[in-house]
Amino acid sequence: MTLMRSLGLAFAGATLLASLPAHAAGITLRALMEDVPETQIIEKMLPAFEKETGIKVEFEKIGYGDMHDKLVAQLVSPESYYNVLEVDFLWAGEFPAAGWLEDLTPYVAKSNFDLKPFIPSMLELLGQTKDALPLIPMYNYSMGLIYRTDLLEDPKLRAAFKAKTGRELAAPTTLEDYVAIATFIKANGNDLVGAAMQAQRGDPNAMEFSNYLFSAGGAYLDANRKVVLDSPEGLKALKLYAENVQKGAQQGALSATLDDTMRLMCAGKAFSMVTYWWMLPQLDDKEKCPAVAGKLALSVMPGGHGESGGWGWGIPKNTSDESKQAAWTFIQWVQSQKTSVARALEGHAPVRSDVYTDEAVLKKYPFYKTALDVVASGKSFPIFAYSAQYEDVLGAQLSLAAGGQAKPEDALKAAADGLTQLLNK
Amino acid sequence: MRFSARPASWVTTFGDRDWRNGWAFAAPGLLTLAIVMGFPLVYAALISFSSLTLLKPALTPFVGFANFGRVMGDPLFWSAVWLTVKYSVVTVAGEFVIGLGVAMMLNRTFTMKPFYFAVLTIPMAMSPVSVALIWRMLLQPNLGIANHVMETLGLPRIDWLGNADLALWTMAAIDIWQQTSFVVLILAAGLAALPRDPYEAAEVDGASALQQFWYITLPMLRPVAAIAVIIQLINEFRTYDLPYILTKGGPGNATEVLSFFAYRRAFLGLSLNEGAAAAFVLLIIVLALTVLFFWSLERRR
Repeated sequence: MTLMRSLGLAFAGATLLASLPAHAAGITLRALMEDVPETQIIEKMLPAFEKETGIKVEFEKIGYGDMHDKLVAQLVSPESYYNVLEVDFLWAGEFPAAGWLEDLTPYVAKSNFDLKPFIPSMLELLGQTKDALPLIPMYNYSMGLIYRTDLLEDPKLRAAFKAKTGRELAAPTTLEDYVAIATFIKANGNDLVGAAMQAQRGDPNAMEFSNYLFSAGGAYLDANRKVVLDSPEGLKALKLYAENVQKGAQQGALSATLDDTMRLMCAGKAFSMVTYWWMLPQLDDKEKCPAVAGKLALSVMPGGHGESGGWGWGIPKNTSDESKQAAWTFIQWVQSQKTSVARALEGHAPVRSDVYTDEAVLKKYPFYKTALDVVASGKSFPIFAYSAQYEDVLGAQLSLAAGGQAKPEDALKAAADGLTQLLNK
Repeated sequence: MRFSARPASWVTTFGDRDWRNGWAFAAPGLLTLAIVMGFPLVYAALISFSSLTLLKPALTPFVGFANFGRVMGDPLFWSAVWLTVKYSVVTVAGEFVIGLGVAMMLNRTFTMKPFYFAVLTIPMAMSPVSVALIWRMLLQPNLGIANHVMETLGLPRIDWLGNADLALWTMAAIDIWQQTSFVVLILAAGLAALPRDPYEAAEVDGASALQQFWYITLPMLRPVAAIAVIIQLINEFRTYDLPYILTKGGPGNATEVLSFFAYRRAFLGLSLNEGAAAAFVLLIIVLALTVLFFWSLERRR
């Protein structure tokens, strides 16, 4: 009897395994993920994916600053430990150029995966060309302005602002407006700063400054990919950026990262922050940030354009064919409309236009309408093989200018020359 | 007959069983050293003379000293060298002075000595990354405890890591906090091993405590102190973790020390060859300092 029962169980198990895709059994996908809310949202859904496919997925979560080097070390090795990749758009030039990523075009064709709902600018941002598709968009991190509405309605601040400028205190519509309000609030706001700024050299200040540049009407490259950073608009942007670091931001802004600005804003000690739009639900949370919950709003960067960014999913070349198939199964699942909507209901920053217009999503998060404007108006940091290095080159010059160690004119010229050199490398 | 042309002593040595046994016992260690240190070093040297980058991972063609030329032609490199020298001298001096003071106090302490030593080893047992993260939180200008204490005492808040004039010295202070324990342990062991006779003779001759320290303790402690200083100097020249976690080389280039410069070249610039060249310059500086230090020590002996 026991033997019969064992045989029966073994048969049932074998039938279940046989019903799964051939690649699924025994595969564990490992991904190095940035430790942000988006990762946690997906992580909560992984048991459902494992139940559905039999593929186990493990996330290793670390800070952004450590991700590039850790990934590169694996991608140059004979076999990558990570067999599904989360890739920042800043590496979308470097990774394919180095030949580290699978072209996903054949995978899309073979599985009839529909790319039409994906916002075209997101696909372009992540390196899609006529000939290749290195990454499938995962989530976007376009940047906008999050600010305190209660401070704009504060009678004392309003009166003081009117007395000083002759204008009403209102949400800023230009970059000059924004810096003027931020510096005013720092001077008059009783232990408040006007802007929580992430001006640490490298990715933090390069991303933050890009918003100032685009809002001032400047650009890194023109349509022919010629460097046009050193322009009157660029100079205006850098001068305003330096002014805000020195007069509008918190002490220590030059060594601050996203985490620092988040904590400051959450503690109710800052009027505003230029940041990723999906930070709004994180801050507008009564349990986590009682000081500011219900008092925040999101807008497109004053001036009309912010920095656009995004992450994508990729598959490393140096992994087994089985792993590659499992990784593709996971990517299809996690970026499907059903999973994307479920993620959006938890605060995901979608890359599919059909999620932004989903009724349930808009009902829960009305600000997704503004978010779509933030995403649609965003412009991109230059993407090429040396983007990561350029962030550092630019970041050093921004840091020198903002710290008063270099004239904005000299810093801007050095940053533009650095970009030209790296583009010609 | 075959060995007759060689010096007799060589023949004797080669034929000596102790000589052969000695090599046999040393061989596993030497082989391990060759694999874990020799091979990477030779490979890194090859990379520094090659055209290998992360985008074009091929050693050939070799480019001679071109990578060294590019690295040393960058003004940031010399800024990094100067910062590294300043940082290393200040941290090693700080660690030695404080370490010697603490070691001498411990040498005269007879109760709870194991407890003091246990407490002292705590910072040393922590990884530099953890230390940097802890201090980053403590020194956070707006929400950190350091500035809170300063304000409570009526002192102004300080921008510890965001001020270009202060960031390097803040980093040095954190390093001294962590590394001094190591110097204390070495010097305490050295002090405990000093013979008592010279001190007894000095006391009979009426030498003061300061004279005993200057004319007896310091000269006798010199070999042990030299070891502590040279180990720490090598450590400090290689400092990478602290700037990486605390400042990323900023503000501006205020904390971009040589090892961080090499890292940037290799991993952000994707130029492993230039990164290896910068690392070799660092190695040469450290080797030169070590040789100079031991040579000076031998001369004084």
